[in-house]
Amino acid sequence: MVVGDFAQGTQVAVIGGGPGGYVAAIRAAQLGLEVTLVERDLLGGICLNWGCIPSKALIHVADLKRQIEHADSLGLITSGVRVDLPKIMKWKDMMVEKLRNGVSSLLAKNNVQVVVGTARLTGDRSFTVEGPDGVHRFEFQHAILAVGSSPLQLPGIPRDGEVVIDSTDALEMTTVPDSLIVVGAGAVGLELGTVYAKFGTRVTMLDGSDKLLPMLDPQIGRVMERALKTFGIELVLGARVLGVNRKDSGAELEYSASGKEQSIVADRILVGIGRRPNTGGIGLEKAGVKMDKRGFVEVDSRMQTSVPGIFAIGDVVTGLMLAHKASYQGKVAAEVIAGQPAAFDGVHVPSVIFSDPEIATVGLTEEDAHSQGIDTKAGLFPFKALGRAMTIGDEGHGFTKVVSDARTGSVLGVHIVGPHASDIIAEGCLAVSSASHVDDLTLTIHPHPTLPESIEEAAEQVEHRAIHIFNPAVLGR
Amino acid sequence: MRQVFRLPDIGEGIAQAEIVEYLVKVGDLVKADQPIVRIETDKAVVELPAPFTGRVVEIPYVPGDTLNVGDPLIIIETDGEVSAEVFRQAADMMPKISRPDEQPAMTLHDPSIPFPGQVLPAERVLATPHTRRLARELNVDITTVRGSGPHGRVTDEDIRKAISQIPSAVPKAPTAAAVQAPATAGFNFEKYGPTRRIPLKGVRKRIAEVMVRSVSTIPHVTHFDEADVTELLAVVDREKALAESRKIKLTILSFLAKAAAAALKEYPALNSSLDEETGELVFKDYIHVGIATDTDAGLMVPVVRDVDRKSILHIASELQELSRKARDRSIDLDDLRGGTFSITNIGAIGGNYATPIILHPQVAILCSMRAQQKPVVREGQVVIRTIMPLTLSFDHRVLDGAEGGRFMNHIIGLLEDPMRMLVDVA
Repeated sequence: MVVGDFAQGTQVAVIGGGPGGYVAAIRAAQLGLEVTLVERDLLGGICLNWGCIPSKALIHVADLKRQIEHADSLGLITSGVRVDLPKIMKWKDMMVEKLRNGVSSLLAKNNVQVVVGTARLTGDRSFTVEGPDGVHRFEFQHAILAVGSSPLQLPGIPRDGEVVIDSTDALEMTTVPDSLIVVGAGAVGLELGTVYAKFGTRVTMLDGSDKLLPMLDPQIGRVMERALKTFGIELVLGARVLGVNRKDSGAELEYSASGKEQSIVADRILVGIGRRPNTGGIGLEKAGVKMDKRGFVEVDSRMQTSVPGIFAIGDVVTGLMLAHKASYQGKVAAEVIAGQPAAFDGVHVPSVIFSDPEIATVGLTEEDAHSQGIDTKAGLFPFKALGRAMTIGDEGHGFTKVVSDARTGSVLGVHIVGPHASDIIAEGCLAVSSASHVDDLTLTIHPHPTLPESIEEAAEQVEHRAIHIFNPAVLGR
Repeated sequence: MRQVFRLPDIGEGIAQAEIVEYLVKVGDLVKADQPIVRIETDKAVVELPAPFTGRVVEIPYVPGDTLNVGDPLIIIETDGEVSAEVFRQAADMMPKISRPDEQPAMTLHDPSIPFPGQVLPAERVLATPHTRRLARELNVDITTVRGSGPHGRVTDEDIRKAISQIPSAVPKAPTAAAVQAPATAGFNFEKYGPTRRIPLKGVRKRIAEVMVRSVSTIPHVTHFDEADVTELLAVVDREKALAESRKIKLTILSFLAKAAAAALKEYPALNSSLDEETGELVFKDYIHVGIATDTDAGLMVPVVRDVDRKSILHIASELQELSRKARDRSIDLDDLRGGTFSITNIGAIGGNYATPIILHPQVAILCSMRAQQKPVVREGQVVIRTIMPLTLSFDHRVLDGAEGGRFMNHIIGLLEDPMRMLVDVA
């Protein structure tokens, strides 16, 4: 075959094999469509290879280390823990590879054709793939753009992968640095900063805003600030990075905070200030796909772009840059292509930070609701009043909060900071997506002793009637 | 601090608006209450004043963009403390940080940080995801369904009932064609020659919605008749000078409105509305007559209030002002609302008969056509008189043909004998 001469046709082309793309491909295949998936690097995308999955593996190991170190008080006598980072990384890589092979085999069994290479749209029904064996041309009836996002860099301080690193680099380190500066106290910063602090690194965390986690329920930020202190992480808020000077080993970072210019020296600087959509260089303009001012692809609730037949999902469209959003949108796009009445509407995207303690939220905070003119009633239940939390040695200040609409009683949001918040939130997601009444939560039996009991108690506390909090106001009523 | 001014809820069911123009630009100082943006809703163009004093730091949209209630219209830097809103906005504008021309600065926050930051639909529908999907499958707009559960929770049953009640919501077969053709596949007009596509929006879109609703819910009956307006035209001619001295253009339309108001008093069913949800007839003790007005943007129906209590010259003067405002798009939304009956006059354009569509939730509309000289028989003699055809469409759920006919006769009686308006009309 003369390379480039012959265009292969496909019913559905999925560009990008991350948690949005591969899910879309499998769903489309389930619905009887012929699917070609193009991935330029590894199946599973950032999430599986350099994001959610490997970071959770490291977090697990770091937690385990800390638990062992603090097991004395529980009656476990241990004799010190040593970190063998290369070995941890190897275990993590093996686990990631196993999952990646799982994705690959699922795609194969669903008859999805996987093409390795970099795709570029060349028109509204065609693209090329530049792969290891040359350039191939494809024509499609439908395309799903699932090309994801890349980490933002600090202006003037580009990543070098050695000293100035991003989240991917932080998941591949083979030595535990003595000191680490984390720029950005978001999901990446909190998760990886805490991991290395637990491994023994001296961590300084800088963030530009005056409050920690300003988007979340304000009480969550306060709990987290206290938690960071217990790990010896120094948090600098309201900071502005001025520049970086490379040293023999490491670098000096200059910043201003509370009106003063200061500097810190550290082995590594981890930049986790957000991500931008990968909309450049993939031929969107050739196809006529419109982007908004911020570089996100514009889509309607059916995930369709300005070009009929071309869909976009996940990080390249506006909204939270989270894997589960991408997967959901991938299924919507596949179903719409197959003629089903799917839509991404009325959907609430939950979000989780695997910090210590974990943070998980879904729906509206009280502030969100008030800004939309909705009166709220909220109930908060602290984990320190929950038996199960005690049995797993949680001595933190976390809580579960249920926010409800004061008029209708429906659940607007659930906000958790505490042990296994990432698991507990699932019930909150169902409550919010189903517009459950608060009573639906209080009248459901939650097994004892478990952490999700905190949802039941927080829901009861909306009417000041949680059992494990003394509520004098309702006494005798 | 940065304050975000969001598209406010501007009233009755208006969920969207299109930006016509911004009256300020980034960097401008604005004072509270100074008009800053002109927007076009379904009904009219309105100017929105700034809610706070400060400097414009960002204008997120351009003229032509369509916004939903709650979308940010403009961002103004004011003095004061920082709110969560500001952070949200900052997050939205995140990619700014990578601009090389700016002083290296840390971002306010990491947009990959999960945060709720979610906006409920303007009206939150209480329904499970399963019910929402059922609504999509049956092509029912769930936001329009009245839920039968507590606090209006919408059940599967409500969705199924909604289809049987809304004739227009015929369950559409899922677009299976989407598999073969683009998901938007519709008619292939281009096959037969070049075409242009213009989105249906603003006034045009609103007209389309109202008309579909009206025709699909109201069983229309249209009654035809004609009035001898020879004497009435003589009165119009005679009083023109007086009207002109007050800068009023007197036409037959004001007499028609007055006559209709008198007839509506006599036959109040035509001034009522049917509340489809409660199954009640709502009789209104006021008579506000909408007058269909042709504008560049399409049909608008400004409303003259309390027609029964105003003189004909007064009606003419208001009508003149309202149609001017409708045409230059400066009309207040309030002037387009609250009509209890409508009149449409196609006389200036021509034609003998038309079957007007009732403006839901009104129950009747009167249409007058061109008055022309015609040979007619009076007392056994053929004479030339000026005849104006009239048609009345009414809602057969609310009244029957006999009442519609009597209503028309009452109007014709007044038009044919203008003196009676003086003698018999309050």
